[in-house]
Amino acid sequence: MSSGIPPWRASASTTTTTPVYPNYTTPAYIPVQARRSLTSPASNSTTPVSPQPTTATTDSNSRKPKRVEWPAPVRMYVQRSFAPEHQIPGVSREEMETKLKLVITEAAQSDRLDKIDWEKLPLPQIMVQNDKTRILANSEASTWGTPFPTQTPKHIPAGDEVTKKRKSAEYQTDSNGYPPWRQTNKTNAFEDRITYSPTDKRQRIDFKNSSSKSQANLEMRKKRFEEGRGMYGSSPSSRGASPTPAPTGPVVGRCQDLEKNYFRLTSAPNPDTVRPLPVLMKTLDLLKKKWKKDNNYTYICDQFKSLRQDLTVQHIKNEFTVSVYEIHARIALEKGDLGEYNQCQTQLRALYAQQLGGHPTEFKAYRVLYFIHTRNWTAMNDALADLTPADKQNHAVKHALDVRSALALGNYHRFFQLYLDTPNMGAYLMDMFVDRERLSALAAICKAYKPDVKIRFITEELGFESDEQSARFILDHISEEMLQERDGVVRLLTGGKAAQLFELSKTEAHRVVDIKGQI
Amino acid sequence: MSNTQSQEKQAEASQQPQQQKATVLEEDDEFEDFPVDDWSENETEQAAGSAANGNNVHLWEESWDDDDAAEDFSKQLKEELKKVEASH
Amino acid sequence: MSSILQDFEDGQRHGSGPRLALALTPVDTPQDPDRLKSFYSFSNSAQISASLRYYLCQTCGLKIPKQELNAWIDILSAYWKAVGEILQFNEFPSRASWVRVFDNWKEVANLLIRAYSNSGFENWTIPCLYVVGKYLRIFASKADAETSSQGSVAYLQDDASTDFGKDAKTEEAARVLNRMFTLCLNDRAPIDESRKWGVYYMTNLLFKTYFKINAVGLSKNLLRALSAQSKELPDLEDFPKSHIVTFKYFVGVIYFLDESYSEAEEHLAYAWRFCHKNAMKNKELILTYLVPCHLVTTHTLPSKKLLSHAPRLEALFRSLCDCIRKGDLHGFDAAMTAGEEEFVKRRIYLPLERGRDIALRNLFRKVFIAGGFEEAKDGQPPIRRTRIPVAEFVAALRIGTHADARTRIDIDEVECLLSNLIYKGLMKGYIARERGMIVLSKGGTAFPGTGV
Repeated sequence: MSSGIPPWRASASTTTTTPVYPNYTTPAYIPVQARRSLTSPASNSTTPVSPQPTTATTDSNSRKPKRVEWPAPVRMYVQRSFAPEHQIPGVSREEMETKLKLVITEAAQSDRLDKIDWEKLPLPQIMVQNDKTRILANSEASTWGTPFPTQTPKHIPAGDEVTKKRKSAEYQTDSNGYPPWRQTNKTNAFEDRITYSPTDKRQRIDFKNSSSKSQANLEMRKKRFEEGRGMYGSSPSSRGASPTPAPTGPVVGRCQDLEKNYFRLTSAPNPDTVRPLPVLMKTLDLLKKKWKKDNNYTYICDQFKSLRQDLTVQHIKNEFTVSVYEIHARIALEKGDLGEYNQCQTQLRALYAQQLGGHPTEFKAYRVLYFIHTRNWTAMNDALADLTPADKQNHAVKHALDVRSALALGNYHRFFQLYLDTPNMGAYLMDMFVDRERLSALAAICKAYKPDVKIRFITEELGFESDEQSARFILDHISEEMLQERDGVVRLLTGGKAAQLFELSKTEAHRVVDIKGQI
Repeated sequence: MSNTQSQEKQAEASQQPQQQKATVLEEDDEFEDFPVDDWSENETEQAAGSAANGNNVHLWEESWDDDDAAEDFSKQLKEELKKVEASH
Repeated sequence: MSSILQDFEDGQRHGSGPRLALALTPVDTPQDPDRLKSFYSFSNSAQISASLRYYLCQTCGLKIPKQELNAWIDILSAYWKAVGEILQFNEFPSRASWVRVFDNWKEVANLLIRAYSNSGFENWTIPCLYVVGKYLRIFASKADAETSSQGSVAYLQDDASTDFGKDAKTEEAARVLNRMFTLCLNDRAPIDESRKWGVYYMTNLLFKTYFKINAVGLSKNLLRALSAQSKELPDLEDFPKSHIVTFKYFVGVIYFLDESYSEAEEHLAYAWRFCHKNAMKNKELILTYLVPCHLVTTHTLPSKKLLSHAPRLEALFRSLCDCIRKGDLHGFDAAMTAGEEEFVKRRIYLPLERGRDIALRNLFRKVFIAGGFEEAKDGQPPIRRTRIPVAEFVAALRIGTHADARTRIDIDEVECLLSNLIYKGLMKGYIARERGMIVLSKGGTAFPGTGV
């Protein structure tokens, strides 16, 4: 065996009594064990979670008294996962192993090691890649928003506990047509959906995949809370014995509470906790009032997410749905929460495609501005392709397109005119890249004008509110002596030095967004 | 077991029959499979281009031209300037 | 006897990969319109393995090592099943299914992959990998089209991710192709015996697949994997040209989509040079991206001769190019609007748009030329007037945009356009704002590269 293959892979391929995982102490397992003890507090003897094989007793340093004999299909699965010909470029060994461990541990936890069809279960690297594919393909529909197949599955394959990790398409078709809502994961919710970094787009798109320890801990706490609320069957025995039966169609909610905290679905939705449309309508009114009054974004975002979830599980798709997403998107914009905004935007794009009303042009315009900000030209091209000739006549859309073309051609004069006259809430988006474009403009101005320009000119050309503001901005990037007062007027000394400094700042500013914009 | 004639095999692959192009697929803007695996230097576009007109330079043209209309433009420009001045 | 088995036998006997690959090509040919059928009637599902074994060993007397032989029998049996599914389209069209064809073909692919890793298939057989991979992609595409035509209702009425599952089989195919890619890339055998010779072919199949499912980003992973191994790979020139030209085309487009136009140009130009002169469709596709690249990077336009290779492109680009050359901004904008849908569809709108800078440069260049010469001093060659009032550029812009009397043109905006051309190096000089003057550089460098 060549180097680079972990020893446990080598041994896994020998005989059926060989442990899949020799006794190692990979720290990656620790949080998993900890979590398990929380998720099934009633009993931690049902299934040993630590992958300690029975046959490893002699030299085991196991922390668990009980060992499990790994079934042959599991061992084969592990073996396949590590087979060189199954490696996928772009999926690192580490990512694959993390996923593999997760899959197996979850299977062990849920007592499904021998129920899962390991032969058919996609390899962990494929799962990882699928996650990536989904992201790259920009079809980051939220998990709970995945569509429901029309047919009812005849049975729920036992492997669903593990496979529901996936939200991507191929799981659907990989011989077992699990309905996507069966795939929501009991243990997948690593990400705290409320406290996130607004700059990390990926995190929110692919929220199932995050596995940082602190997030996991948060999730544990949340889960415990969830269990207390009886959101899903928490008894390990009932869970192990009979998988939740699959509902045959959309849920019809019975809950009358206006407010409800958001939890990711972990099993088929319970009608008792789902609010029907008339209640949801009242909820929206209440939320609008509360937002005006309290401006508590954390609360509002959470409430909107549960609102969206209730709509989704009941297959409610109408003008009301559109307005929920629109309002949530606007609030997210206002608070600069681009991740949440982008989720809404993605949903809205699909909803508009179904002609359900709402304000498509307003949001198509935002979409263009959004991709200017993220500098995602491929997505921009798609956004342009989505526009109908009628859309292009719309004031907001036209504005956004003009902004785009002004920037593409370096026409900062036009750009800042447009900036000062932005319809709707587009200014929230433009604010995010306006400084970057000011640097571009200053780099050009310093190269093209000689010997100097009045600060007033900068203020007017670059949409600053005052000479003070523009002077302050300039001084953030170049040294003081390049601003000089002459004849009672402050001037920016253009030319080599200043041009160079602004060029550097410009490159830096664009580079930063490049990273952020990259998924 | 080893076969050291891979180069030959590669070359031979050029005879791979593709007259039986899949009847199953017609995708509009997709890069097509070449009907042969390999071809000689003089079947390349490069060779065909240089045979036809000496070299490849003529494939690209300057993006500006000095046409004879320079004077027309000059006249037009003067008129336009007058208009602008008149309007002030 | 079935020509499929004949091809297989000949391929094995002569060690000919292409011949062997021909055996695994699941289509009828003009010469043999019942090619698949005669192979399928060779045996039945209960006995196919045994029949194949008997035929290959006894009838043909092929001497294939046991493990290899077993692998081939498995592959051919799976192939036989897949052929059966394909034949359904002739026999019982109502029962035929591309999804089943795909599933069966995937089995062929998996067995083949396994045979390379476990059963000692030699590298001369890799054309088999090509043909199986190629049809895997084709069948996946067919299967997805079939599924979406049958199940489209389910997608339409559903939530946001309306295209959910639309490319399921193609994605499945991508995973198998990826294994084939890895199988080639990571072969450590000496290069003469290595499957590394198949690596570009497999890469190309994956490129096509990723482009189809709009996951171009994944292509970059392949490029990374390739470049990590670049030292172990034979020179590009040693690969068949079809592999390399296709590869270069896709790499060029990948850079292109990233707006890395100089890298894109390099790869596309390579693809162009080595493309087969008669491959019209491919030449057109290469030029579709190469022309905008050239415009952006070298500010040059395609000649009539170049576009004569691609009449569709001639129609698409001609008026745009003419307007750029003439500095006709109005015409340029009109041509961009007219072509917008097509440009956006082909993803070339954004680079083409940059042509406006060139058109503008040409318009302003005319102002410079119209300015004539300064009074010549004592026999010195005449020098062009290099101090030009901004007002003249304003007037030129009015001409270029067909501005009517009521249209106001903002002097600050004209300055901005000038500043941009200077910044981008299309013009040399500076703006003296307080004097309302543009001071252009002397000595024939005011408009670099254009002779004045």
